[in-house]
Amino acid sequence: MNLGPTLFLTFFGIAAIWFGIVVFRTHSMVRSAIALLFSQTAIGAMFLVMQAEFLGVLQIMMMATEMSVMAIFMVMFMMDPGGMGKMDMTHQKRLSLWAGGVGLAAALAVIWTAGWQGPVPDVPGADEQARELGRELLGRSMFIFESAALMILTAMIAATMVAIAPQEEDTQ
Amino acid sequence: MSIAAIILALTLGCYAVAVLESWSMHGRLSLTRPAASALALLGREQILPRTSDRLFFETGPVLLLVAGLLSVAVIPLAPGLIITDLAIGALFLNAALAYVLVALIMAGWGPNGAYGMIGGWRFLGQFIAYAMLIVMPITAVAMRAESLSTTQIVLSQAALWNVAYQPIGFVLFVVAAMGVAWLPPVDLPTGGGDLAGGVEAEYTGARLAVLRLARLVIIVALASATVTFYLGGWLGPWLPGWAWTALKTLAVAAAMLALGPRLPRLREAQYLAVSWKLGITLALANIFLVGVIALVVPI
Repeated sequence: MNLGPTLFLTFFGIAAIWFGIVVFRTHSMVRSAIALLFSQTAIGAMFLVMQAEFLGVLQIMMMATEMSVMAIFMVMFMMDPGGMGKMDMTHQKRLSLWAGGVGLAAALAVIWTAGWQGPVPDVPGADEQARELGRELLGRSMFIFESAALMILTAMIAATMVAIAPQEEDTQ
Repeated sequence: MSIAAIILALTLGCYAVAVLESWSMHGRLSLTRPAASALALLGREQILPRTSDRLFFETGPVLLLVAGLLSVAVIPLAPGLIITDLAIGALFLNAALAYVLVALIMAGWGPNGAYGMIGGWRFLGQFIAYAMLIVMPITAVAMRAESLSTTQIVLSQAALWNVAYQPIGFVLFVVAAMGVAWLPPVDLPTGGGDLAGGVEAEYTGARLAVLRLARLVIIVALASATVTFYLGGWLGPWLPGWAWTALKTLAVAAAMLALGPRLPRLREAQYLAVSWKLGITLALANIFLVGVIALVVPI
């Protein structure tokens, strides 16, 4: 493996983990959301280093929107969104520690036991990757993606209905 | 070499857009006003609001500038005159422009002021309105070019520009582009006369200069993206390619700047309603029509 890509991959990997830690270390909800965004952006950059252009750029694009929307929801629902009141928002620490530890162990087990094949010798060009991805999405994986899309649409409609329901009470 | 040429072109383009914007706002053409304003901003005191989120306050304007510059990187000025001709250039442009939202939220939240914060979150509402209308017309453009590369997209318009091939997509893209660059009538994050400057309210001096420069870069990026996707990019008779791109980009920017101030400002709810109920329907119809035309009469 070349030294350059390995160095970049390591750098973005560490950045992703570091921003992941920042998510839990800050009191500000907005900082937390933006830190999560940059953690995900670093993962997108790792895709780019691995020459998966389409997936990398898609990851970087989608996360910007998703994390921004998450940020406003956190601001709306949390009592101290700016973190200026220094409120402690953690709870169930023992359970969280156990869950985190088990999750880490499971992830490490997958990493160590999976039969990783060596680096792919010839990476197809970015246009070829996009074409193959399109074939996959409109072929074998179509059912999965379509059913996921339908579920998200249902959730969106349900969320909108929940949001507009109190109007009737207002008019009385 | 090409990077230096593009940065020079971008600098000149930003200055020209600044001249056009001040002309459309003040009604008087002045070639020196933007330079004078920039010098005045750089000379002014830089105030740091109390209990601000310093990291966001400083990063917001810079991230905005970076997002604008990255989006310019995939726009071809002429054949071969492009910073990076990515195979997925059109998608990359979207990804870079998505960070305009992040930067404005950071710049709005950072100073710990009500006007800035409202401006930043308003832009999120505005983003939800325009996001689909940026992506869906580009989908139709990529369908015709059978590629996401911006160079291929320009070449695909050799016989007929996309503005004639898919006029619905063109109109939707321009409306959405004005939303991305928060140009009037959808200048909700700054909202002059409404939010006292909004996102810009707490910024002074050099930081405000960076914020305004970043916006100029974004306007140039979107005008040149419109030219690349719909107006045939560098294609045109007699003049060299780069001259056509520059002329068309300035014309699009001038049209956007001239149109805006003559329309009443939309609330984000109105912009959302129009974009989702009418815009997305039209964008889907556009994709369908382009698909049918591409299959039946390949031009």
